[in-house]
Amino acid sequence: MPDQNAEQVDKLPTRVIKHGDIVLEARGITKRYQSLVANDHVDFDIKAGEIHAILGENGAGKTTLMKILFGLVQPDEGEIFVYGEKVKFKSPLDAIQLGIGMVHQNRKLIPAHSVFENIILGHPSAGNILNMKSSAQGITELCDKYGFKIDLKAKVWQLSEGEKQIVEILKALYRGAKILILDEPTSALAPPETKKLLASIKIMTGDDLALVPFITHKLQIVLTTSNRVTVLRRGKVTARLETKDATEKSLAKEMVGRDVIFRLEHTESEPGKPILQVEQLSAINDKGLVALQDINFNVHEGEILGIAGVSGNGQQVLAEVLAGLRKELGGKVLLDGVDMTSSSSLERWQKGMGYIPSERVDVGSIRDYSIIDNVMMNYYFDSEFSKWGILDTRKIRKLSEEIIREYAVAVPGPDTPAKSLSGGNLQKVILARVLSRKPRLIIANLPTQGLDVGAAEFVQNKLLEARKEGAGVLLISEDLDEVLSLSDRVAAIYEGEFMGIIPIKQVKREDIGLMMAGLKHKGAEK
Amino acid sequence: MWEFFARSLNASTIFTIAALGELIEQRAGILNVGIEGVMLFGGTLGFIVAKTTGSFLLGFLAAIAIGGLIALLYGFFTITLGGNQVVNGMGIWILGFGLTAYIGYPYTGPLGLERIPEISGLSPFFFIGIILIILTQWILTKTNLGLKIRSVGENPSVAEVSGINVNKMRYLSVITSGMLMGLAGGIYALDYNPVWSINFLLGWGFIALALVFFSMWNPYILLAGSVLFGTLWQLSLNPQLVLPNLFSRYIWRTVPFTITIVVLVLMSTKWFATRWGAAKPEALGLPYEKE
Amino acid sequence: MKLGGYEVKLERKMKVTGWEAAMISILAILIALGVVSIIFLQAGVNPITGYKEIFKFAFTTKYGLPLTINSSIFILLCTFAFIVPMKAGLWNIGMAGQLFAGTLGAFGVAYAFGAKGPQGANLSSGLVIPLMVIGALLCGGLVGAIPGFLKGKFNTNEIVVTMMLNSIAFWAVAFMIKEGGPFMGGGGEGEGFKLPESIYAPQKFGIPFTILIALLLAFLLYFLFTKTKVGYQIKTFGLSPAAAKYAGISSFKIPLLVFIIGGMIAGFAGYHYFAAIPRVAKITMNYGDYGDLSFYGIICGLISQENPLAAIPIALLFGGLINGGRNVQGKLNIGFGIDYALLGVLMITLVFFQFFYRYKIVWKKIEKEK
Repeated sequence: MPDQNAEQVDKLPTRVIKHGDIVLEARGITKRYQSLVANDHVDFDIKAGEIHAILGENGAGKTTLMKILFGLVQPDEGEIFVYGEKVKFKSPLDAIQLGIGMVHQNRKLIPAHSVFENIILGHPSAGNILNMKSSAQGITELCDKYGFKIDLKAKVWQLSEGEKQIVEILKALYRGAKILILDEPTSALAPPETKKLLASIKIMTGDDLALVPFITHKLQIVLTTSNRVTVLRRGKVTARLETKDATEKSLAKEMVGRDVIFRLEHTESEPGKPILQVEQLSAINDKGLVALQDINFNVHEGEILGIAGVSGNGQQVLAEVLAGLRKELGGKVLLDGVDMTSSSSLERWQKGMGYIPSERVDVGSIRDYSIIDNVMMNYYFDSEFSKWGILDTRKIRKLSEEIIREYAVAVPGPDTPAKSLSGGNLQKVILARVLSRKPRLIIANLPTQGLDVGAAEFVQNKLLEARKEGAGVLLISEDLDEVLSLSDRVAAIYEGEFMGIIPIKQVKREDIGLMMAGLKHKGAEK
Repeated sequence: MWEFFARSLNASTIFTIAALGELIEQRAGILNVGIEGVMLFGGTLGFIVAKTTGSFLLGFLAAIAIGGLIALLYGFFTITLGGNQVVNGMGIWILGFGLTAYIGYPYTGPLGLERIPEISGLSPFFFIGIILIILTQWILTKTNLGLKIRSVGENPSVAEVSGINVNKMRYLSVITSGMLMGLAGGIYALDYNPVWSINFLLGWGFIALALVFFSMWNPYILLAGSVLFGTLWQLSLNPQLVLPNLFSRYIWRTVPFTITIVVLVLMSTKWFATRWGAAKPEALGLPYEKE
Repeated sequence: MKLGGYEVKLERKMKVTGWEAAMISILAILIALGVVSIIFLQAGVNPITGYKEIFKFAFTTKYGLPLTINSSIFILLCTFAFIVPMKAGLWNIGMAGQLFAGTLGAFGVAYAFGAKGPQGANLSSGLVIPLMVIGALLCGGLVGAIPGFLKGKFNTNEIVVTMMLNSIAFWAVAFMIKEGGPFMGGGGEGEGFKLPESIYAPQKFGIPFTILIALLLAFLLYFLFTKTKVGYQIKTFGLSPAAAKYAGISSFKIPLLVFIIGGMIAGFAGYHYFAAIPRVAKITMNYGDYGDLSFYGIICGLISQENPLAAIPIALLFGGLINGGRNVQGKLNIGFGIDYALLGVLMITLVFFQFFYRYKIVWKKIEKEK
């Protein structure tokens, strides 16, 4: 059976690729979006058989560079060379034909289709009638080669995150990719799956594939896996080095531009009475599967309880149940000692709960509304702001103006439509709207996701402020560092169960990692 | 009694073919609530052409052609201009309703041609309908073309990145669906009930829409549903066959519509709703914009 | 795309100002009128003359003006019935069924008071008329509540449900007024009984008091949606049900509420046409045509951008076009159904113009290549 890979490489001038040859080179890549320079004369190259990590914070320009290398975006300046020949990508198809494949962070797979269908989708050799046998054979050979164990007939939605990633890798490899771009390959994986993935990657490099993982914070992964690192900050390359010459601290410094403190210093907490009590809480998700199993925990006034976990282990369902947006299956929720289990979300807002949703654009705000109308979302039901059913728009306007001032939201005025706000500014408005109600319990669901360093720090400090003023905060975050630096107690969630709740002083990072992967269980504390 | 069932099956054919068209384009992610409009165009133009030329063949060809054309217009608004699919569908419906009322009025009345020969009481289109159903299911599940169509309806950006021209696939589905809807309208006006009057379809297009939802995008379930509805419809016209003298014939006419509502409500029960949610093409109704 | 020395590009719009929206709507109307003038050309008539005749009849003649205004009131009410659920993001295409139900409700009250028989001549209008109105509102609201309830509780598709109810209500009316049904009129077959003069609606120049209610309603609805808590909740739900849920807005109460309101207004439209207009005062044989007419409420609602005040002049325009068009049909020998054709063309023009809300055409002079 003809080797799929050979078929693709036939398109390129025949040359023998030796381990260590430069296969992809980018020179002077520049891309501007209006006044923002996303990539500023970026130089980069990768060799066959090498793992070259690209490191950078949110907003550093990684995503833009990745899109350019894969043909999703055209650079304003600069050149790209593949196997020494200058190329111009009009679309990802051009990149795919030259042997560049991409494995996306938010899986570009179709969950309702089978693994086989996903891999073969759009493949030039697929023909008109799906010739299952020969294609399946080719794919199985690839699996055996790299040690992947996947059932081709399984539907993708049934797979774990790690398995889904393997499907995407297979898809790229089956299209003949020799250069693989990996977008945050380990962010959605628990530590053991990460290990497996890295092992497979090492095998691939043995085969002279070149891999470019794009990473935000997992410095450990970079240090243990890559051969070389390029660091991006604000669109510019700030460092290119051999991994063996780098340390966690030096990399972090290049990324952020200053010495990074890995823990925000904050005062000891003096937790008061429990403001939130959760007893034997169970719930199911939209697919009808159990998402929470008999969860027990408390949040006290003046403390931050951080929930660490890989996304998809029940955090979203937990937040929604507590906020009154989803019906629980069993168990009780008490707010300040009062049973709120059957209360509507409106009643919870009125009794002192505040919820910062993870979906800032689809749930937390309305794009076409002005800032004033967005602020009204959490205020229209207050008797202070509406009398006899008529809204006191002047009062809300004043509140909005105060919010804009206090939180330094960069807008001309409160009538600005929400859709023209940046992610950071929008989150500030949402945060301000919720916190200005002085809630006694704050549920913060992924509050800094997608924000740049400055905005994220702002949000984190506001949460600490609220804690200082006596509010209880339930923090849900996929960023373990964030959880560890803000929380007074840390809970690890895995498949809808709390694997343990530990006071911050007793926390060991490796333990939490194991709990997040379901491999360790500590007795839950009250 | 057989005559009753035969007529029911003939009626069901129209539902089958129209709903099949909508099923195909919904699998590709396009929601068209204006099925009634496309069918009205197909029926009206087919009727006019058949009446003036005396040829059934030309009439049906005209119906299919206009159906495809109107659907192409719908596709243009939806795919290329990226407008709200429900608004566009409503537009097609009202366009159909309004324009066909004007264009068809001079031809009000019976077709005046000899009826299309039947096979033991069944219209030949019934068999064509069955063949179309089987063909569609085979194409959707076993061929690469079907995979592409389904992918475009589940996740167009994934499809695009995998090398599929999403817009081309969607246009293909929309035009095919339009041709089927036009054909269905033609069958109604030329075969099932060859008399033209304003708004002669009386809501059949909307029943077809409900049928597609009910079928959970499975052509075989669609067929079963259509047969059920065809029977209900025939029953409403001939209540004397089942319960003579029970209600006024006007009340009987409301039965198919009431049952449609009941079916829709049943569809929201847990058992149905979760299966329905799982079977639904994820990108249905959502506009797609290339990056 | 390049044209001459300019590059034409499409740019997404961030905001649509009130003026821009109005311009787009007016342009859509003009274009539709232009397309429909093909019908005039087909009949060998100069379109300008044709339209002139239409407007002359509709707005200047003693016979035509009340006809126009009465139609406009009808359309305006149907428009409100469409707009209210639309603000919540829901399509009420069931105005026809709701207005039929309202009509039955109003005539039901009259029937209960013996209006069909001899005592009809002695009825107290001060008592019966308000009750007739209430009957119309109740029945319209009830029929409207069905899709609202189903949507709120089960998320059932309201487009199909309302369409089905249109047909169901249509046949219910047929049942009531034909073949020995309770409301059948004494004279010819197939129409309802005539209301006795004692319960004719108060009117002036042939226009019933319902015009005042319709205008008042315009202002009330405008106020509802700009200043009140309920209006805010409805709008928020319409823009994003997910965000509304987060804000504590009930996804059951809102659909139910807007459809009840819409149904009630449509029911009142039924009272207006069949019971209040002195020339009519009965359920006519061609009552179904008024179901068709109610679809103008959809277009009027869309053109006026769901603004109840802007709907007033547009409803008036449509009332004029329809009545003038019908009149002119006979006079100038144009085919039947010019109003239907206008309905269709206008709708599709509007749909096409949606595009201009989201994109604007930008002309840029091409820089000389370096």
